[in-house]
Amino acid sequence: MRFDLNDDTEFLRATTSRFIADEMSMAATRALASAPDGFDRDTWRRAAELGWTSLLAPASLGGGGLSDNAVVDLAAVAEEMGRRVAPGPLLPVNVVVDALARGGEPALVQEVVPGLMAGDTIAAWALAESRDVWGVDGLGETVVREDGDHLVVSGHKRFVEAAASADVILVSAMSPSGPTQVLVDARADGVTVIPGRSIDLVRRFADVAFDGVRIASDAVVGTMGDAAGDIEHQCQLALALQVAETVGMLDDVYVTTVEYLVDRWSFGRPLASYQALKHRLADMLLALETAKGCAEAAADAVGTDDANVRRDVGVAKAYVGRAAIELLGECVQLHGGIAMTWEHDLHVYERRAAVNRAVYGSPEYHEERLCALVETGAV
Amino acid sequence: MRAGRDGGGVTGAVEDVDQFRARARAWIEANLEPRDPSLPREFDFAAERALQARMFDAGFTGFMFPTEYGGLGLTIDHQRAFFEEAAGYFTPSYFAVSIGMLGATILDCGTEEQKTHHLPAILRADEIFVQLLSEPSGGSDLAGALTRATRDGDTWVINGSKIWTSGGDVATHGLMLARTDWDVPKHRGLSMLIVPLGDHPGVTIEPIMQVNGDADFCQEFFDDVTVPVGNLLGAENEGWAVAQRLLFNERNTTAGIGIGHGYMANLSGSVRGDATIGERLQRLLHAAARRGADTDPEIRRLIGRTGVDLVAHEFARRRIMTGQTLGALDGPWGSLLKLGEGIDSPAIAADALAIAGASGVISVDDAAGGDQGAAWIASRGISIGGGSNEMQRNIVSERLLGLPRELDPSRELPFSEIQERRRRAQRDRTPSGGHR
Repeated sequence: MRFDLNDDTEFLRATTSRFIADEMSMAATRALASAPDGFDRDTWRRAAELGWTSLLAPASLGGGGLSDNAVVDLAAVAEEMGRRVAPGPLLPVNVVVDALARGGEPALVQEVVPGLMAGDTIAAWALAESRDVWGVDGLGETVVREDGDHLVVSGHKRFVEAAASADVILVSAMSPSGPTQVLVDARADGVTVIPGRSIDLVRRFADVAFDGVRIASDAVVGTMGDAAGDIEHQCQLALALQVAETVGMLDDVYVTTVEYLVDRWSFGRPLASYQALKHRLADMLLALETAKGCAEAAADAVGTDDANVRRDVGVAKAYVGRAAIELLGECVQLHGGIAMTWEHDLHVYERRAAVNRAVYGSPEYHEERLCALVETGAV
Repeated sequence: MRAGRDGGGVTGAVEDVDQFRARARAWIEANLEPRDPSLPREFDFAAERALQARMFDAGFTGFMFPTEYGGLGLTIDHQRAFFEEAAGYFTPSYFAVSIGMLGATILDCGTEEQKTHHLPAILRADEIFVQLLSEPSGGSDLAGALTRATRDGDTWVINGSKIWTSGGDVATHGLMLARTDWDVPKHRGLSMLIVPLGDHPGVTIEPIMQVNGDADFCQEFFDDVTVPVGNLLGAENEGWAVAQRLLFNERNTTAGIGIGHGYMANLSGSVRGDATIGERLQRLLHAAARRGADTDPEIRRLIGRTGVDLVAHEFARRRIMTGQTLGALDGPWGSLLKLGEGIDSPAIAADALAIAGASGVISVDDAAGGDQGAAWIASRGISIGGGSNEMQRNIVSERLLGLPRELDPSRELPFSEIQERRRRAQRDRTPSGGHR
């Protein structure tokens, strides 16, 4: 948790924390592992009432942030969800709300956003394609072309979070004039959702095939052919939320691991008294605090559209993505055999960390991007 | 906030940061020399010292020191604002130790007379202080000091040796941890003394050549050196508390969160010509390009990862500074940042070897050649100096996490008894098997 939350955001965080403790316990999450959606619709509706899906929505619809940086507010929610590896499509719904608030036709916004804010409807964002590149540079396989006064979407999207639960899908695609985004009804003719299984217990991903899907021209979000900046911003927002969630997870497992080593005795003394283990806990605290600093910097930069936002968000993802895997691995090692059991919760955290490492760009992808920024003199 | 312009205590009359920034910018533009990052620059001690004096005279140093001791009585925000404005210019970096570590400790622990006498001189670099803590007999165990100070009338008589003193050859004074009582446990028999260096009678200073060929460190020998009793900093036999304060100030300064120079090193990147993060990454890319490796995906990733580590560390620093400023973090958090630097420095230097290839270690008619090799050779400096990574891990685990302390018999037994045990153990030692 960051030190500089304002009172309203802190209230949201505390409310969120209590809600998750009451309604999204680990037992409840484990029970959802076999549910198709991976989350409970009614619980999601009540979470939405707390503001989880309204912070980036237009003020005209009753949305808006609590501080001067709504991304910081939302990141506080994501972090609390991470602490309990909570279920629910926080990331895709908010990315789509934000995209619509920024570039949707008023009628479309009026039609779609209230349902998302209320938690009655679910949105997905289709970005990656078969090359597994999570940015504008990965587009090409899915195309939007004009056909009279309609648009036609064709192609194949991969690794789309919550696609099988979604009512609407924001599709980032190419058009003859450049990157373009459209909002597609998930039940439209020609849309086929192919559900997948992720290693996360409750976070669902699917492929989506678009076979000549006809949509109205006012379904374009932003400007036809000129969506590169919007897509980049959505990636940044997604990453700010993702790293905040991961940091919440790491904070929780780290505290648990320290407590475990303090309580457990071997050879006549607490495990936490062995220097070999103390030193590892020190290194892990360094990684944890650095990860927190990265997540905070990412939310700061995205919410204010800082000049260094590309650098800051890329650094955050690369650092947190890697640190999460290493830190969780250390937590398992320090717990010993108990952490290799299904009953112990550590693997639930590991599962989400592994998914978060991969989606919206791997650390390797963001390291290459950072090098490219150095090349252009932007860093 | 330590003090304000009206002298002592908290005041509401501190200059607005934006106003201060504007005033600083005007002075910087008119008085400081712009920096060309592509040109490495020889370190010039006399020039740095003269520049420090000019900055003092102009009212741009000692930002967070009280005005009655020559400081500005401002806040860390003012300090940061100044160095943000000075980022593209040469600023003196040499005195971070003297001001941020030693000056801050005198401010914390000194008598009114000591503060009035030394602090303005330190801020102006008329006096340059170093720390005299480590000894040849033991690096990390500072409380095991063997240097002896004996009271003789109105003076202390000092005998012994100190080592790893950065800048010992140019210092005017040192803060010395010396043993003043041998018959109590080690932490309770130490005193901190202000000792003149330079050509003070009985002081011999020998530079130590380091792995990179520089001689930044010294060893000092003290033979019947006398100082007045008034040079005692803190109470007699309570020198360990002063040393703890000094170490605290050291870690904060090293981590860039101290009151002396604080954030400047990282923002202006001017510490002895060191580069900013962007400049360092540009150099790595150029080193890769020299051998056509700037399109190699693995090499590019290593450059990216170096950038990630450097920037992520800045984010950690920002978080911890915020926590300290808002009072949410207490304790030696500088140790955590110091540990990060100690871990990153050799890892980043090793990656640079991979990025630069042969021209990173061999220079033929190429001014930039060999840089990465030299940097790697020196890269463990920060992992060892100022408290090794291992010491920082002890501090982090014991004082930040509250885990059980390491067993230390010398905390309870008289120091003379520990010395006797050591002599016996060395005498009775048998050669280890297999290697002789």
